[in-house]
Amino acid sequence: MDFETDRFISTLVDRAPPHALEHLQLVLIPLVIAFVVAFPVAILLTRRRFIRSTERVMAVFNAGQTIPPLAVIAIFFPFLGLGREPALLALTIYALLPIARNTLVGLKGVPREVIEAARGMGMTDWEILIRVELPLSVPVIMAGVRISAILIAATAALASLVGGGGMGTIIFAGIDFFRVELVLAGTLFIVFIAILLDRVLTVVENILTTVHLKSR
Amino acid sequence: MIVLDEVTKIFPGAREPAVDRVSFQVTEGNICVFVGPSGCGKTTILRMINRLEEPTDGDIYIKGERVKDKHVNADELRREIGYVIQQVGLLPHQTVEQNVALVPRLLKWPADKIRSRVAELLQMVGLDPQEISHKYPYQLSGGMMQRVGVARALAADPPIMLMDEPFGAVDPIVRERLQDEFLRLQKELKKTICFVTHDINEAIKMGDHIVILAAGKLIQHGTPREILTAPANDFVKDLIGENKEIKLLELTRAAELVKPQAELPPALSSNGCCVQSIDPVQRALEIMLKENSDTVGVRDGDELIGAISWAAIKEYINAINANI
Repeated sequence: MDFETDRFISTLVDRAPPHALEHLQLVLIPLVIAFVVAFPVAILLTRRRFIRSTERVMAVFNAGQTIPPLAVIAIFFPFLGLGREPALLALTIYALLPIARNTLVGLKGVPREVIEAARGMGMTDWEILIRVELPLSVPVIMAGVRISAILIAATAALASLVGGGGMGTIIFAGIDFFRVELVLAGTLFIVFIAILLDRVLTVVENILTTVHLKSR
Repeated sequence: MIVLDEVTKIFPGAREPAVDRVSFQVTEGNICVFVGPSGCGKTTILRMINRLEEPTDGDIYIKGERVKDKHVNADELRREIGYVIQQVGLLPHQTVEQNVALVPRLLKWPADKIRSRVAELLQMVGLDPQEISHKYPYQLSGGMMQRVGVARALAADPPIMLMDEPFGAVDPIVRERLQDEFLRLQKELKKTICFVTHDINEAIKMGDHIVILAAGKLIQHGTPREILTAPANDFVKDLIGENKEIKLLELTRAAELVKPQAELPPALSSNGCCVQSIDPVQRALEIMLKENSDTVGVRDGDELIGAISWAAIKEYINAINANI
């Protein structure tokens, strides 16, 4: 293939941006929904009452990661058809595991003597969760969110295969028509989105992380 | 002040009870030491007093009220009881000041009252508030951390303190300092303290009353002197170990063995010749060895009231050994 610079520039500037916006939505919406689901569930799994269900529930999240997103779309095709909705669902399911697993690991990693002392002083279970366990788990939980973000940023490229839009439209057009300029432009946008997300989440993490963890 | 009545704890799935019908009392203002080998139930008993564990059977009373009935939530009970554990458990993401202020903050004290109380407590435990209030636990040494832990437990001025091997995680030199300073503090504060240790020497040093446990059962309880002079069985004798005579001399005051004597042998130097009547006899023994003398003078303040002789010490020990 030869490389036509004009076409590359015009793709970058004209054709790609609307799809970039679509792509951003395809990343942010599943990320937020996955967080809203995985985060509380993982917290519940660390509570004494539900601790025995941990393995079973984590197996569900595991499956969510292992089943390829396109297969998920195929499974839900009778209910959701093609287009944006099944793509969003598949990406949400895909994003659950890193958030759930990291929340679980983060909470379990809080030193037991800290929780024991907090209980012994008379903090309620809720106070311990909010004031001790979660603040101490922020770095690990945020690592999970960032992993999910980057995974979905890349995987969202597949959404276009089922009519879901996003940067995949440009990339697969480039593949189908042997236009490397399109593939490159599309990929650059995905990389840019991934880096942007990572930066933003890092800022969020820094705001949430308390001093003692920052100075380590 | 604290009464345990046939307290029993059987953990789910265990064949033997961890605590087996233990009954004893803790007098107000005393340090009561629970001592025994690993697994004897001493920590479990401690944790049942503030309801971190619940007894399977039996009752625990504080000031006549059942611990179970005192408050609706166990958390409220625990805010009235100081709790110190071996690994301290300071919140790593909060400063020393915030850590010490934990219970006052839970009790919603006003901010300036909290601030002055924290400064007062840090000084009480031998730390400089200016130096240390803003530091984080990872910046502290083991000894400093444990002092902060004690300050934290004292913050809301609870009448009762539960301490689980509090000085176990530091080296022996620091441990001895912490023990001495804690005893000095207790003289002022007169808290009712339940103290868990596996070290019989620490029990004898710290305890006004000792409770010896093994395999969940109460073996013997009494003052350190009672335990040393009248051990209930071979287990207690083994626990005390070989050098009980010296330990006993550490507990016996010079006043008990002093015999009137008008003058001291001239061989004794003027500086090192005497002990105070409240000093332990062991100190008199040390002077005897240092000055190569069989007699040591005993003073009450500046006044010479008599002397202790090597023979008197031997007579005392022999009498006790004859009764065991």
